[in-house]
Amino acid sequence: MTISRRTFGKLVLGAGAVAPVHFVTTAIAQPKPGDELVVGVWGGAQERIVREFCEKPLVEKYGCKVSYVLGGTPERRARAYSERGRPSFDVLYLNIFESRQAVKDGVTQAPTAAVPNFANLHDVAKLGGYGVAFNPVTIVYDKRKASKPVTSWKDIWNPEWKGRVAWPSYPGAQGTAGLLMAAKVWGGDEKNIDAAFGKIRELKPFAAIQGSQDQLYGMFDQGVADISIEFGSFTRFYAETRNPNIEIANPVEGQAIAMNVACITAGTRNQKLAEEWINFHLSEPCMMAYAKQIYYSPTVKNLVVPADLRPKLVMGPDVEKLVDFDWDNVIRSQPQWSSRFNREIAG
Amino acid sequence: MVEPLQPRDCWLTSFLSRFFGPALAAPATLWLALTFAAPLAVVVLLSMHEFPDPFGDLLQRPSPAQFSTILGDGFYLRVLVETILLGIGVTALTVILGYPLALWLARLPVKWRPLAFAVILIPLLTNVVVRSLGMVLLLAPDGLVNQVLGLVGIAPFRTMLYTHGAVALALAQVFMPFLVLALYDVLQGIPPRVHEAATSLGASRTASTFLVDLPLSLPGLRAGIVIVFLMSSTAYVSATLLGGKKVWTTGMLVWQEALQNLNAPLASALALLMTAAGIGFAVLIFVVARKLTPWLSGTPKAAASLPVWLMRLLEVVAPVLGRILLAGALLLLLLPLVLVCIQSFNDVPQATVAGFRAFTWKWYERAIFGGAYAPAFWVSVQLAAATAFVAITLALPAAFALARWKFPGLGVLAAFWTLPLSLPHVAIGVGMLRLLQTYTAVPPFFGLMAVHVVLVLPFSIALLHASVEQLDQALENAAASLGAGPVRRFVLVVLPSLAPGLVAAGIMSFLLSFGEVTVTSFLTTARMTTLPVRIYAEASFSLEPTVHAVSTLLIIATVLALVALGRLVRLDRMHAR
Repeated sequence: MTISRRTFGKLVLGAGAVAPVHFVTTAIAQPKPGDELVVGVWGGAQERIVREFCEKPLVEKYGCKVSYVLGGTPERRARAYSERGRPSFDVLYLNIFESRQAVKDGVTQAPTAAVPNFANLHDVAKLGGYGVAFNPVTIVYDKRKASKPVTSWKDIWNPEWKGRVAWPSYPGAQGTAGLLMAAKVWGGDEKNIDAAFGKIRELKPFAAIQGSQDQLYGMFDQGVADISIEFGSFTRFYAETRNPNIEIANPVEGQAIAMNVACITAGTRNQKLAEEWINFHLSEPCMMAYAKQIYYSPTVKNLVVPADLRPKLVMGPDVEKLVDFDWDNVIRSQPQWSSRFNREIAG
Repeated sequence: MVEPLQPRDCWLTSFLSRFFGPALAAPATLWLALTFAAPLAVVVLLSMHEFPDPFGDLLQRPSPAQFSTILGDGFYLRVLVETILLGIGVTALTVILGYPLALWLARLPVKWRPLAFAVILIPLLTNVVVRSLGMVLLLAPDGLVNQVLGLVGIAPFRTMLYTHGAVALALAQVFMPFLVLALYDVLQGIPPRVHEAATSLGASRTASTFLVDLPLSLPGLRAGIVIVFLMSSTAYVSATLLGGKKVWTTGMLVWQEALQNLNAPLASALALLMTAAGIGFAVLIFVVARKLTPWLSGTPKAAASLPVWLMRLLEVVAPVLGRILLAGALLLLLLPLVLVCIQSFNDVPQATVAGFRAFTWKWYERAIFGGAYAPAFWVSVQLAAATAFVAITLALPAAFALARWKFPGLGVLAAFWTLPLSLPHVAIGVGMLRLLQTYTAVPPFFGLMAVHVVLVLPFSIALLHASVEQLDQALENAAASLGAGPVRRFVLVVLPSLAPGLVAAGIMSFLLSFGEVTVTSFLTTARMTTLPVRIYAEASFSLEPTVHAVSTLLIIATVLALVALGRLVRLDRMHAR
């Protein structure tokens, strides 16, 4: 058979039109038994929960294998950046500000409705990936040392806390929240951060600079510090199981938003599995386990929690009250702020 | 130094003397060139970038911008200087506490030695996070030190934690074993005749310690000092955990810039400046040590003597002071770990809790049957064993080249071998990040092992160099005169004489690889999670006392392993038997 030029042209056009279809179908190819999903996540309680409530059902459904890369956010993020386009992870968990930047930088994918539970997410949890848990940052303190309950971010500057503050190190979710809230309550904002640095300097000398929630709890246990800025969620677990003197404040200015975000890497070869994984994470059993075991608040609107658990979580209208920031500006300023923080606050 | 035995044939002699040294030096050099030179080159290239761009090309027009930023900035300079001072402080503390410990170990009856070894090595076995927790429990306002002081009516020191002192103490605890091991073999190697000669000349035990043992142990001390300084000036995990961000080290800055701010160029430049400082220090120590040990290069030393008043003072003070320092060293090594063991039975939800609440076995149950730790433990054991084997195989010829088959250019090679030690490990991680695509193509176990060997090699070379220098060549001459060929001499005379040094270097390589977390946390893949990386990952959220149980199990396992090893391999020199 001879092919005329016109037919050839049609064939080329047709192939051109069909090629993307082929591309798309391979991109969302159905998972086969034996496929391996690689998840980068924090160790400890969170690892245990996702193993139980995401891995188990996923493996049951597809016969796949799930492997974990455990560690803190900075290492995970640095790796994902260095592997952009050819990731060794399929799903990785980031904090709110890093996740939005990672989408902009082409490291991870923006969230889509391909994850069925996407529809149930709060709007604020639909940016930069799939928000899987709110864990707002607030003031935590030893109530025995307080003359009156802490009700405002400004209370940290009360003379009774002089020399007893463990300020959270910057950058990091808690340090970022502390800096931004200080700016907000003392007449500045993300674009005018001087106010914050000036006021935080006034708090010196610090009892310590705390680098993680675990280190802070040690400081509370050991009587090194009496007040700090920390995730309210897990601190509540700490207060209930270990140190009943610790109070989690609910300041009038609001708690600073912080969120764990599940992100699918750009270029993953396990798109479908990754989406299914996240769907399981946003499903009722997993959300409930997070809420019950470590008081991380659900990011989906359709979860009904027991009445006794409700006051310990941030849900419904409380989500609207969380203080949000211009994260683009925050992430852009981070190197400069961290340099200032090292010089003016820590050290 | 006695010349190495030379074969009779003339052409063979000249051939050997020209090529044998380089051939001995080749394996270590090649390994490092293949696995370390690449990340190092990346770090050098990154440091010359003008702006950070995580996705930019590695090759860019060189710019001094990062270096001029650092050198023109008081804060960076201050941290550099403070880091060096911290390194010097830790080194001094380690020498003061470690020397009496090494003497004690070398003079201990042989049957107690495996146990004593275990005591010294235990801190190396405990994960850095757990070790630091032990130190927190010791120094906290309500910690053990203050409780003991309270018993004798001294008011508590409330501000011991989160200071340079706390960091220095923690670093001294974990690096002291390196110094002690470096000294142990050399002290062991001093022939008893030398002490007899000193006694017959009227030297007391104290005098012979200061005038005989100390000078003769300088090669070991030199190796130990360089190792401790380089390790403590590049450390960052302990500094972060015990310095509470009030103490800044260059390693912490490198980590923060590279990972949190994604500013790899600045991080690389900082790391290279730190490396330069470290190399400078190492060279200084080598020069000083050479001045102090002229006999090693064949020049007789001027007669050493101490002023009479000083000698009298030492006679009175030294034995008492030596015991106090020994007790201090043992307490520093063991106390934090005793606290860790106690915590492993504590029925509390998190690892940092101070008081003892109730007894429980549940952390052991979780550690052994929980599923997560056991696989990671096996990965770590296999990795550490493979690393130790390869590192010793590469280091032994290199040590012979350094001690016996010197050739032009060896000094430069020796400096290259030490480089992995002076480059902050975080920086190696940063370099590896850029090479991750290539790296992930390598089978994961081999990839991790290759990098671990790089980290371990400087130690094994330094330790074995000191051991080889101490070999008694009269024994080899005697064997040769009885007709033993080079291979027989090596297998039947040299290797047994080197056994203590080989065991020390092997154990140290094993433990270093076993505990490595800084670089491994960059390289760990889903299929290869080592135990330290797993524990470190949990510390990023909340540690449970399971880690204490894991540490306690490891401590018990080590003690048993060393006692068993003590039955198989003699940990002392032949002449001491």
